[in-house]
Amino acid sequence: MSAVVYEMKKSLLKIMREPLGALGISLVILMIFSAIFADLIASADPSKISPRDRFLPPSFDHLMGTDQLGRDLFARILHGGRIALAVALFTTAVSLIIGTVLGLLAGYGPRWLDNVLLLLFDTVKSFPTVMLALALVTLFGPSLTSVIIVVVLVNVPGYARIIRTQTLTLKSAEFVTAAQSMGASTMRILRVHMLPNTIGPLLILVSMDIPVVIAIEAGMSFLGLGVRPPTPSWGAILNDGFTAIRDTPWIAVAGGLPIILTTLGFTFLGETLRDIFDPRMKRR
Amino acid sequence: MLKYIFNRLLLSIVIVSVAQFLLFTMIYLIPGDPAAVALGPRATEAMRKTLEIKMGLDKPLIIQFWNFFTGAWTGDLGNEVLSDRPVFDVVLEQLPYTLALIACGMTWSIALGIPLGCYAAVRRGGMVDRLIGVLSVGLIAVPSFVVAIYAMLIFAVSLQWLPAIGAGEQGQLGDQLIHLILPSLAVGLGWIGYIGRMVRASMLEVLEASHIKTARAFGLPDRLITYRYALTIAILPTITLLGVGIGQMLSSAVFAEIVFARPGVGKLVYDAILTRNYPLVTGAVLVTTVLFVFINLLADIMIGVLDPRVRSRL
Amino acid sequence: MDNKTPFTFPRRSFLAAAGAFGAATVALPGMAISADKKVLTVRSYSDLQILDPAFWVSIPEGDIIRSIFAPLVVVEPGDEWTWKGVAVESIEQLDDLTVSFKLRDNIGFTDGYGQMTADDVKFSLERIADPAMESPFAGDWAALKEVEVKDKLSGIIHLKNKFVPLWTTTLPTSSSCILSRKAVTELGDKIATKPVAQSGQYLLADWQPKQKTILKRNPDWAYEKGGFEEIHIIPIEDPATAERGYEAGDLDYTWTSVSSIPRLKKNPPPNSVILEKPSLAYVWLGINQDVAPFDNINVRRAIQHAVDRKTVVDATYYGAASVANGIIAPGMPGNRSSVTYDYDPDKARDLLKKEGISSLNVTLDILNQSERLTAAQVIQANLAEVGINVEIKQNDSGTFWTLGSKDGDYWNKLQLVLSRFSMQPDPSWATVWFTPEQVGVWNWERFNNAEYKALHDQGLVESDTAKRDEIYKKMQGIMDESGCYVFLTHEVVGAIHNTDIQPGLKPNGESLLPEFKPA
Repeated sequence: MSAVVYEMKKSLLKIMREPLGALGISLVILMIFSAIFADLIASADPSKISPRDRFLPPSFDHLMGTDQLGRDLFARILHGGRIALAVALFTTAVSLIIGTVLGLLAGYGPRWLDNVLLLLFDTVKSFPTVMLALALVTLFGPSLTSVIIVVVLVNVPGYARIIRTQTLTLKSAEFVTAAQSMGASTMRILRVHMLPNTIGPLLILVSMDIPVVIAIEAGMSFLGLGVRPPTPSWGAILNDGFTAIRDTPWIAVAGGLPIILTTLGFTFLGETLRDIFDPRMKRR
Repeated sequence: MLKYIFNRLLLSIVIVSVAQFLLFTMIYLIPGDPAAVALGPRATEAMRKTLEIKMGLDKPLIIQFWNFFTGAWTGDLGNEVLSDRPVFDVVLEQLPYTLALIACGMTWSIALGIPLGCYAAVRRGGMVDRLIGVLSVGLIAVPSFVVAIYAMLIFAVSLQWLPAIGAGEQGQLGDQLIHLILPSLAVGLGWIGYIGRMVRASMLEVLEASHIKTARAFGLPDRLITYRYALTIAILPTITLLGVGIGQMLSSAVFAEIVFARPGVGKLVYDAILTRNYPLVTGAVLVTTVLFVFINLLADIMIGVLDPRVRSRL
Repeated sequence: MDNKTPFTFPRRSFLAAAGAFGAATVALPGMAISADKKVLTVRSYSDLQILDPAFWVSIPEGDIIRSIFAPLVVVEPGDEWTWKGVAVESIEQLDDLTVSFKLRDNIGFTDGYGQMTADDVKFSLERIADPAMESPFAGDWAALKEVEVKDKLSGIIHLKNKFVPLWTTTLPTSSSCILSRKAVTELGDKIATKPVAQSGQYLLADWQPKQKTILKRNPDWAYEKGGFEEIHIIPIEDPATAERGYEAGDLDYTWTSVSSIPRLKKNPPPNSVILEKPSLAYVWLGINQDVAPFDNINVRRAIQHAVDRKTVVDATYYGAASVANGIIAPGMPGNRSSVTYDYDPDKARDLLKKEGISSLNVTLDILNQSERLTAAQVIQANLAEVGINVEIKQNDSGTFWTLGSKDGDYWNKLQLVLSRFSMQPDPSWATVWFTPEQVGVWNWERFNNAEYKALHDQGLVESDTAKRDEIYKKMQGIMDESGCYVFLTHEVVGAIHNTDIQPGLKPNGESLLPEFKPA
């Protein structure tokens, strides 16, 4: 296990050395930090309605202004970060688990199972994402749960494939047979041989997927098909801002800005990770 | 070669069939009378009865799926609930608008992406290259609906250079094109980044190739080398991207249509969801999926035809 | 055509009191109409579903019905509630119980159903009044005894009792639209989206669901022609979207949302006129008394005390509308200056505690429209403070207007609903929707009170204004006590049109499509 930690420390340093990587990690940390400590950073209550204070432009009292119900936008954005973070973490975890199980099944299981699973993955990928999301929301009703189901569905194939590839490699590797003949358990093989090789690609996929996850949730909430009011998801704030865009544009700016910063942050991070872990794709 | 095409075609058909199957089973997973679920709460009793007979709910599931399946391939996607018109016709009416939007988005991506990628490759390692690199990643990262809203905010609301809503007067091409500029920019922006990077990467590869070096040794002008020889080969991988790109652009187009209040399949599905017009939703999703799969198929075939490397392997 | 109001009915101009500020243009009756071939494009807030004068669901349908099926008389455009004949050449109230009429000659029905005769009048009016038809508008003709046919074109309307609202809310509305007896009997069912035997100034030429309705001038209409050759009606539910559509040049005329009025008046779009008309409508939060936990009156009362009505109205309308204290707008008898419950969250909490309720999860159904959503969110915040969690459910208009209907399956699940009813200029047209007969039709709160019904019937025959005032005030007091209602506002009607058309509007801003003319 310490080998893994060592690898991660080394990678972290490599990330920080790349300017894009440094920027990416800073943005990510900023987002996580502000989401967790939202209450401390912004003293205002994100759900407090105050019609007298509606549509106030950004000022010292309200760093990003107020929305149509007089709610402080800065507080809403920070709390929105919690939703984004929660959705990102939860769906990634679930997708990883399901993906791992399916990937192992595909790799270790019988050939026909492998083919069927691959076909399913291809099919899911062949739906244009938003169309799939809309179709599922129609059936399950608009809610955050439906959005989460969509996101998990869309992400699982990616993780499953990585696990599957590793599993297939392992299945035929000689050193595995050697290790097994020496009495090594399957768990140990998985831990020692598979884990280090999969962490890299998985980490890259995670940091490339998270912006997609956040974008889908924000998109669905923007359409009014995701979180229910008055939950301050960034997409919902963007929706409020959109209807009032002519005279009070700062609401839309407030909603979109954290989305942009977060997606940029994770994407820069992912790109840098890819450069580090996959020398073939390195920028020359 | 033919075998390759045949294989890809078969795979595409299988994928579409699986997609149909998934859409079909979703109706049965939801508790409640399947005809009512399929039609949604807005259907009348008469419509439900008609659908029940058509679905043949007393027959085994396999037969039901077969009917649905064959029906879909012949263009019978049922009737939409509000006006009892065939779903297929309704979707086909709106599809051209979305296709136009995607085509223009693609145009932006190609028109800006290829020169950017080319430029970056030629100026490799320099400030410009790095800048374009960052820009590309940035463009890919930002969700397209945020781009759409900000584009509207800046160019339509603040500067008032371009219209904010609608598709323009019917029959007036100029007006329609002006109305297309902002939405298609929103749709195509992300792909400028992707195409730029792809072109850059393949250009770099090609520029190292021996026949280029030979051309240089012969003293042929740089520009000729870059554009005629290198670029024409470097462009080929981008065609694969186009297939995937169109699918993603479809997603972006949905948002662009809603933000800019344009007619199209995206707006159609969105309105259908809000009015609980379920047959229209499933029908439109199916049509767009089939479109996506077959465009991918075409892209694959074209690669097979155009790229000598792929061709030699067949 | 003589538009005298009958002798027993004192002339009132309610709206002079309320004031119609900002009204810019008004179409003058009897003006020569140019045979301009222009097309008028207007927006309606919902698409048509039922084009039957006895069963229509929303105002836009009423507008179309009055254009394609000739009514006996119709409201004249302008700021006063006057009327003029459409199908009739003359009509007069002879005494409290008798009205005589004579149809214009030569009004034809389409689809080969011949000429409109007094017998068709008999059929149409009695049809609405017939209890077996179960028309939601039976109340308009509740006083009808029968229509006596004298000859081909003339007849006498006999009433059972005095009916005060006859000339304000029955005759000049869709309830006097004439259908062909032959056509409707052959149809055997209510008219839905395909009208038969049209007779009006316009004909329904085309209907593209959710997209467009096209009316064309009726070439066989021999009298005053509609101002425009063609009228295109675009259904756009959300007023904000409609405003954007207007600004994009897609519409000539639309209602705006109330909250946009201040903004639009300050910065009007080019070549546009902003209208602001006093509204007779009423918006309220309804509580279904037949569904738990609201079958407990204390829970209902708690909600009445928990909602801060002033904040709801301020937040939603940005000061453009004021708080209402009932369903009857200023200018009409029965208008109240206060309600019997006050904003007191502590009292609300106490009431809930007394019932042993510490927290509650309820649903609030609203129309899918930004102003309603704003109001709903304020209500949600108010109720959260007393421990009630509200889930807001947005519905498109097709779904919303059938939520409480006994024909559907939601009437016994509906808990809270934020609703708005439009109005005609007589208080009985507000109170009728909350009578026991309307339970499962328009009375979604399922409020069932015998005294209320008795008072309503009394108000229909009482012609003394002061006495009517007392009656209607008492009725609203009963509504307060029932706990089923939290009155919010009457709103205001905002409209915008471009300068090359002249809209034809009733004093409360509702459209009279044939009265729109090119400027």
